[in-house]
Formats: sequence, C-alpha cells, structure tokens
Amino acid sequence: MSELARQVEALLFLSPEPLPLVTLCEIVEESPGAVQRALAELGERHGPEAGLEVAEIAGGFALRTRADLAPVVDRLRDRPSEDRVSPAALETLAVVAYLEPISRPQISRLRGVSVDSTVVSLLDRGLLEEAGRPPDGGAMRYRTTRLFQERFGLRKAGDLPPLENFELTGPEAERVRRHLVEAGHLPEGEGPADDE
Amino acid sequence: MSPPDALRQPIELDLFEGPFDLLLTLVLRDEVELLEVPLLEVVTASLGERARERWDTDTAGELIVLLAAMAELKARRLLGEPGEEEPDADTLEARERLAARLVAYAPFQRAAGWLGERARDCAGPRYRRVALAGAAPPPPPAEDAVRLREAMLPLIAAPPAPSLSHLTSRRVSLPAALARLQSALARARSVSFDALTAGLEPLEEAIALMAALELARRGDVTLTQPEPFGDIAITGSGR
Repeated sequence: MSELARQVEALLFLSPEPLPLVTLCEIVEESPGAVQRALAELGERHGPEAGLEVAEIAGGFALRTRADLAPVVDRLRDRPSEDRVSPAALETLAVVAYLEPISRPQISRLRGVSVDSTVVSLLDRGLLEEAGRPPDGGAMRYRTTRLFQERFGLRKAGDLPPLENFELTGPEAERVRRHLVEAGHLPEGEGPADDE
Repeated sequence: MSPPDALRQPIELDLFEGPFDLLLTLVLRDEVELLEVPLLEVVTASLGERARERWDTDTAGELIVLLAAMAELKARRLLGEPGEEEPDADTLEARERLAARLVAYAPFQRAAGWLGERARDCAGPRYRRVALAGAAPPPPPAEDAVRLREAMLPLIAAPPAPSLSHLTSRRVSLPAALARLQSALARARSVSFDALTAGLEPLEEAIALMAALELARRGDVTLTQPEPFGDIAITGSGR
C-alpha cells in the first residue's frame, strides 16, 4: 500500500465524521487526483472479505463496518438496533429533502396533517435541523442533516432521484381524478374503474 | 432506475396520519371504498382538538373543504344514490381540488417509499463517532494575589447612589387655582381660558381647567368653547 493510502486510511479511521476530499487534500498536502487514487487503493484493500469498507457518504469519505457485521458490532455498542422511521416521519423527511428549506406550516399544508410532533421528533433524532427564518420574517425553516444523508446512504446533500421520477403517470393521475370526481355519482357496483 | 412503489406495499390504517396519504393509497390501489375509510379518524388527525393553534385560517379552511368533499363522497356511497343528477359546480370543484392535492402529494409519498428502502438497505454499516480530543486549553497565567485584589476591588465596590438632582417636584393646588380663577372673575365678567393660563405648564393648565369645571359644576360660571381645541370663555353667572 502506498504511503499516501496509509495516511488516508489513518485519517478515515480517526475522523468522527466523513472527510470531504478537499479536507483530505489539505491535510496530506496532495492533489485531489492523488488522494482519489489513494482512496481507490484503500477501497481495494478493504474488499468484501474485510471487516471495514471505504464509503462515499454524506459529502465525504468514511471508513465504516460492513453491513453484514451489524449483529456482531452492535453487541459491542451499548444501543438498541437502529430505531425505525415511521411512515409519517418518512413522508415528512421526503418533503423536506426535496423542498428544503421549508417551514412546518408549509409541510403541514402539503401533507394535509399537522406535522409538529413529527418534526420535533426528527429534530430530536438529528435527521432535521433548523435552517433559519426567511429574510422577510416568518416561520422557522428546516433542512435535512448530514446524519440524514448517512442514515439513508446519500453521497451528499440533494443526492436524491429527481422528484419527477415519482410523479404519477398520466393514466394514474387521471384515475385518481375520476375516482374522486365521479365516485359519489355512480350506482353501487358500477365503479369508474370498470370502464377502462 | 424505476423507483420502488410505496403504493404497492400493504396498508396498515393505523400508520396513516392524514387524509392525503390514506386516500391516495386507497385510490391508486383501486380501493377507494370510502365505506371503509374511518372518516372521523381522518378528520381528527387533520384538524384535531387543537386545530386552532396549529393551522392558519387559510389552510384550515382549505382542509375543511377537502374533508367535506371526502365526507360527501362517503355519504353518497352510503346512501347508494343513483347518479342521474349532475352535481353542482362547487361540489365538482371541491372534488377536483381534492384530486389535484392528491396528485401533487403523490411524488412525496413515493419518495418516502424510496427513502424507506434506502433506510433498510443502509441500516447495516456502523460509523465511528468518537470525537477527537484536542489539546487541553492552556492554564491561566499565574497572577499574584495583590494584583488580583486590585483588579477585583473596582468590581465589588458598591455603586454610587443615583443622583436625583435633575428631578424636581412641582406642587399644584386645586384650591389655589380656584382662588385665582375667582379673583380673575371678580375683575371681569368673562375670562379667556387661554389668557388665564398663558405661560403655565401643562399640569398647571390642566388644574386650571379642573378649577373652571368645578366652578361650572357649582353653577358659578358657564363655559363656552366655539370650536374643539379653541379658546374657552369662562363667564360668571352673576350670582
């Protein structure tokens, strides 16, 4: 292993958070290209047979334990297995992730339900953070955190599929519309879906 | 990459919080059997008992319209009303808006499904989170006790009592003002309030007014003021 790769490995091992490429370059005083080659070298060294892997996550690089070792390493850690994120929390996170910074009233409006308690619990869990108030005053706005990126395996902020990918197709949207607009006016057993 | 579809996953009613995620899921799965939708729960979840604290008026109004549209749809289903008559324009518009809200919300619901899968896929790896300890802060420089005492003394000295020399107390007396007004009236039948109070401080002026009002109450004088804020003529009643 090259000297640079050894240095990078040592830095990733000690760092409490993912190290951005620029930070690595500054510390080892090398070019981004050289550091990237060192990272690739390190990646090969920590292959599937190793206990650790090099991951590009949350805006930087991290040395982390491999997923299949979770049951073993969690015995060392004094914490329960990762608590689940409820569907309501996931939807709130999705709204914030795509529209950040966004205020609670704006999220509530979109979701059609009060999100106060959901937002508070996501703040407590470090998945959301405050993002300041708009310059013209108004409600506090929120954004997702680096922990959110780690938890959901995102390489950096905004590393999400385009929202358009999730839009309803034309026929699906039309189906929703027809169901709701016409549903109340059809005799029993003659659902609108029948005439497709 | 085709996004995994949250809408294909099994529904558990308890997990839904609001009208939109619930209704959208039902509709897209061809399960818009409103008979099965616990409307009360949906309404409670959306508006709740403390709705006034949580919603601005506009949003609350909009939600109520949407929920009303849902309730009406359900009522029609329950009654099994045959569908000959055309619904009125407002009803149709409310339903169109409900549909538009659902379609607009759908991408976020699906994105949430995608996030959920990511969370499952990424649940395994563990990160090291031990903060690096820096060097301990340098100890404060050694100072001798005398210098510390000197530095401390000004801080613990009692502050000087505040001076009140710029405050003066002005005494005004209603009897004195009454006497002044009465003596002026002894000299002339009618006195101008402005002339009487020329050069007086506002407080003295106010007392003079009270004196005039007092005499008017006793019936000793009549007060006439032709226009608001204008001069007041104080005229003795000649008794």
